[in-house]
Amino acid sequence: MNIYNSKQYKILDVIKQTGDNTLLRIKCDLNPMPGQFVNVSIPGIGEAPISSASYNDKLLDLNVRIVGNVTKAMTQLKKGDEIGLRGPYGNGFPMKELKGKDLVLVGGGCGVAPLRGIIEYVDLHWKDYKDVYMFFGYRTPGDILFKDEISGWNDKYKVFLSVDQEVGANPFNCPVGFVTDNLKENKVPSNAVALMCGPPIMMTKTTEILKEKGLTEKQLYVSLERHMKCCTGKCGHCMVHGQYVCLDGPVFTYDEVKNLDE
Amino acid sequence: MGKVLEKEGLHNFILSLQKHGLLIAPVTTDMTRFKVLEAGDKVELNNNPFFPLKKYFLPNEEPVLKIKNGLTKEPKLKEPKKIIFGARLCDINGLAILDKLYLDQRFVDETYKKRRENTTVIGLNCLNPPSENCFCGSMGLQKEGYDLLFHERELDYYIDVLTKKGAKLVKHLRSEEFDFPLPKTDKKLDPKDLWPFMADKFWEKDNDLCVSCQRCTILCPTCFCFDLHDDVNPATKSGDRLRTIDSCHSPDFTQVAGGHVFRAKRLQRYRHRVMHKLQFFKDKFDRSMCTGCGRCIDYCHSKIDFVKTINEDFK
Ligand SMILES: Cc1cc2nc3c(=O)[nH]c(=O)nc-3n(C[C@H](O)[C@H](O)[C@H](O)COP(=O)(O)OP(=O)(O)OC[C@H]3O[C@@H](n4cnc5c(N)ncnc54)[C@H](O)[C@@H]3O)c2cc1C
Ligand code: FES
Repeated sequence: MNIYNSKQYKILDVIKQTGDNTLLRIKCDLNPMPGQFVNVSIPGIGEAPISSASYNDKLLDLNVRIVGNVTKAMTQLKKGDEIGLRGPYGNGFPMKELKGKDLVLVGGGCGVAPLRGIIEYVDLHWKDYKDVYMFFGYRTPGDILFKDEISGWNDKYKVFLSVDQEVGANPFNCPVGFVTDNLKENKVPSNAVALMCGPPIMMTKTTEILKEKGLTEKQLYVSLERHMKCCTGKCGHCMVHGQYVCLDGPVFTYDEVKNLDE
Repeated sequence: MGKVLEKEGLHNFILSLQKHGLLIAPVTTDMTRFKVLEAGDKVELNNNPFFPLKKYFLPNEEPVLKIKNGLTKEPKLKEPKKIIFGARLCDINGLAILDKLYLDQRFVDETYKKRRENTTVIGLNCLNPPSENCFCGSMGLQKEGYDLLFHERELDYYIDVLTKKGAKLVKHLRSEEFDFPLPKTDKKLDPKDLWPFMADKFWEKDNDLCVSCQRCTILCPTCFCFDLHDDVNPATKSGDRLRTIDSCHSPDFTQVAGGHVFRAKRLQRYRHRVMHKLQFFKDKFDRSMCTGCGRCIDYCHSKIDFVKTINEDFK
């Protein structure tokens, strides 16, 4: 088996989530752990690593934000088309180690997508965890992801949404402000673990706030994004301080990556 | 256990290797390079080739997949048997280092594996360092990565035999037990933990000279970072997914969507390369990724000597 080759999977649905985010629902038994990712192949254009946004042994959801050629081509695929995937890659969030804990999920924009994998995992293993707190921030109400699921999450978990700007209708009555403002104003248990995915500035700010709330750096998990090509620890693109983000990550404790002055 | 070949027998021995596969050895024209040996070529026994051995296992560009009708297909592996004579221990240890990545049990690169299996590597031990910048004597080279290794003595060659593949080629020769010495070099890199020296000030002097020309990564026996990209004919939609050698010296090496570059400053890239070679790899695999071949100093555009800098200024 050639490690660079992908297998073909059938697309069950293509759901436009927001102006630039599209969800591809794929019939797929790879079942990545939350935080793991697959490399999507569009032959003739290229490949892009995309996080699993689900936890399901028959389906795989990929939330794709259009930023360039590969991501654009992905969102032009139709229901019934096939798509090439290789993986799953990466370590994922250490869900088994986190049993018995309160989970604080902090996500910004499309960084929420991998956290949805955690939510689906906890849905199935709810007895293993205490409360789940979700702090999700978006640019505007129109950018909110997984809109249809929010009321269901509200029934089970503690959901805190926020928007940077109030543009257009605000159906979820999100407060205006950064995700970190919301986090600052709300209580989370000091023995919780936080799992984060979003822009670097959000992760830095979030960390400061959570430390003020009594969480230590070992209780904070971040998912890093890097340029990736091989996803198998060979091409060198994703390496930071000797760690391959594709193999050793993308999830690290904050403690492991805080001094990444490259 | 090893074998012994009289000096006069060397020429015929090398020629006899041709019946076992494509024979490759160093030959000097404008400079010394590995090449497929042809009638009339004289095998160069004194210089280390300009370009390291890695190119026979990881060529600068090759298709890893074929693209046809919107699908990727695995190319047929046609790997001829090769015999490489005259590689130095720095390059050979370089293969042992690349093996750690390309033969990583979790993701074995099948093409690389096949090439390793189908290639017999015959080393030539250095009695005198081929370059004044050789510092392999301080890099902990090991007797590994080759099938056979020739060590020149006064009257003969002692041949160290490491594999069955190698043993077959010398089974007609006299056996002997001999512990050959590893190469010694005047130039040495002081063993140092480099983590305390991450601050910019330690790297500024060399970085001011660096022009990011990437010669050091291209000529390094253990650098093979690569890019994957598709090259298709728009009319037929057929073509290749290519693997092309890349370099951590280029700014777009760490560029992600949105345009952010993680190592935007040259100093960060310069430091990353040296740290990877001397520290990061060692942290993971318990050996340095640098084998001390000295090419990156010999051929550096600005003659940057990081060995000297680390020895003298990192304190
Ligand atoms: C572990 C991981 C998980 C990710 N998960 C998601 C996800 O769930 N949803 C999502 O929309 N995006 C995700 N991304 C980002 C996504 O991979 C990039 O946006 C995508 O590769 C850009 O490709 P493009 O061809 O569309 O853009 P391009 O036209 O190639 O280029 C846009 C920019 O992206 C850079 N780039 C090229 N290849 C990569 C790469 N492999 N990784 C990062 N940047 C790259 C280019 O250098 C360029 O600056 C993830 C990235 C990583 C590393
Ligand atoms: S993506 Fe190639 S080494 Fe990580």
